[in-house]
Amino acid sequence: MVVLRGGMCPGLDEDLVRGLRAVDIKTVEDLVSSDIEELAQKCSVSYKALFAIRRVLLAQHTAFPVSGADLYEELLSSTAILSTGNPSLDKVLDSGLYTGEITELSGGPGSGKSQVCFGVAVHIAYHLKQSVIFIDTTGGLTARRLLQMLQAETNNTEEQMEALQRIHIFRLFDVFSLLDCLYGLRSGRLQQASVGGGSVKAVILDSVSAVISPLLGGKQNDGMSLMIQVAGVLKTMAKDFNVAALVTNHVTRSGSGELQPGLGVSWSHIPRTRILLERVEEATAVSHSSLRSATLIKSSRQPCHIKEEFDLQWWSRSKEGSSGKRKLDETDS
Amino acid sequence: VCVCVCVCVCERQSGVICVCVCVCVCVCVCTVRCYMCVCVCVCVCVCVSGKTELLYHLLCRCVLPVATGGLEVDVVFVDTDYSLDMLRLVNILETRSTSSPSDEAELRSCLSRLLVVHCSSSSQLLLTLHFLETSLSSRPGLALLLIDSISAFYWPDRCEGGASIAKQEEKLSKCTELLGRLLRDYRITVFATCHAIRRSYSGPPSSSSSSSSSSECDRPYLCRRWQRLVTHRLLCSRQEAANNMAATAGGSVEQRRRQVFTVNCTSSSSSSSSTTKKAYRSTSFYVTDGGVEFI
Repeated sequence: MVVLRGGMCPGLDEDLVRGLRAVDIKTVEDLVSSDIEELAQKCSVSYKALFAIRRVLLAQHTAFPVSGADLYEELLSSTAILSTGNPSLDKVLDSGLYTGEITELSGGPGSGKSQVCFGVAVHIAYHLKQSVIFIDTTGGLTARRLLQMLQAETNNTEEQMEALQRIHIFRLFDVFSLLDCLYGLRSGRLQQASVGGGSVKAVILDSVSAVISPLLGGKQNDGMSLMIQVAGVLKTMAKDFNVAALVTNHVTRSGSGELQPGLGVSWSHIPRTRILLERVEEATAVSHSSLRSATLIKSSRQPCHIKEEFDLQWWSRSKEGSSGKRKLDETDS
Repeated sequence: VCVCVCVCVCERQSGVICVCVCVCVCVCVCTVRCYMCVCVCVCVCVCVSGKTELLYHLLCRCVLPVATGGLEVDVVFVDTDYSLDMLRLVNILETRSTSSPSDEAELRSCLSRLLVVHCSSSSQLLLTLHFLETSLSSRPGLALLLIDSISAFYWPDRCEGGASIAKQEEKLSKCTELLGRLLRDYRITVFATCHAIRRSYSGPPSSSSSSSSSSECDRPYLCRRWQRLVTHRLLCSRQEAANNMAATAGGSVEQRRRQVFTVNCTSSSSSSSSTTKKAYRSTSFYVTDGGVEFI
């Protein structure tokens, strides 16, 4: 909704704006949708002038059509696939997180969503040497854990510090500060964060449901609208700046008793790829197993319901002892 | 007004564009005596229901050259929620085109027939449709307008409109009015997808679904003007895996794991004064590397 103001385009002066307002034309949409001839008569302006104004305003505010060929070229040159660092998870994700898209990780408490997010952030910061923006809404992020994961990668403290510096952390706990942060990132802070450390390649939001689900339900529509707004900003940011967006979500039980991601049907259309994390039930009941299973529930590239098991300790395994295979019996110590 | 049902036939005669949606529905637009402009609404029941795949199927059908079974018409894709996956689309195009693989020039010419517009709000959608009017008059080959999805701004509009329902529906009504005018004046076909906003809480879907079991998930919630503009409604849903396990017991393991999607189509004729729904048909399809494969 763009309100008509004097000086928006050549020929649109204050008098004309006042005249248009008198005939109930207050916004650009009103002007564009109305009959120019009638309007010219009512406001006693020349048809040609009004038509020219309409054309300029339309050109200023419309979205331009792009040819499919150009879009494809652009996508080929700018899309990158970021590996998560864990080969089994990469297999489920069709080789990693794609830039320009939103990927969602959902799971119950203790299913490892935050750990996966930390692992991805560390992998991108250390191995891919790119910056990461981490928005923490649950308070579960500690630099000590990130350092622990980095110490498993390298013993060189300088490299550790460099990698830690590439992870930019925002801590916020309500949806308005989240929107504030995202809009700020979109309008320039993303570029600022890129200076001196490799460009930002991923935005990790842990978790989106913590700020949105308190607003849903009841008769107010504000919650749904804010959710769609958050989704819109994330998507445009992902597309315009070629970053991969990773969000986490909680789970609920459906009518038939199955686990399904939270935030309802309206959110389910927003991420391009969705993964459900679950604990693996083992016969040999090791109480603190770090094994998790990832099931693909929505993807535009792979058939759904691919399930892979992976080890949460993959990101903090020590380099010397690993033989390249997952250690299935590793326990928390 | 004539509606004919033919089986997967797409042909282009002078001025007659026959778009085949699936095996069950085919709408023939005749310019000789009377014409009907088709506006189709694709509605989804659950999240993953293959409706974007159906759109890709339509896109490829329209954009591929006649030699490989396409229609060679221009298509405008209005993308309101960034759901167009170009890589997937190109994958389908390459699998479908029977010419030599990695034929860059042909791929480029196919893609150049596609125009993509991204809209981020319903006012921008309205302005873009106005802008498209000029494109429509300058590109006579433009025959199909795909909107994915028309319901993307439902919640923001509802919140902006406040308490009055008229204000909430105002922008979508204006878009609909404009679409109606474009349909009449330029004789294009419009396909729009619409997300479900309510999950169906009914029991597991039975394989023999009658029209009465189209549960709460398909109750139309967009403004009334839009409901009147829609002439065909395709309801897409995903069948439970258990059903097809039994059906394809003899097939390979991979076949058994494939998801089966169903499309139910109800079409209402705009000429009848009562809103009796006629011609309820349904079909099913798989999603493969080459796009949609009907069963």
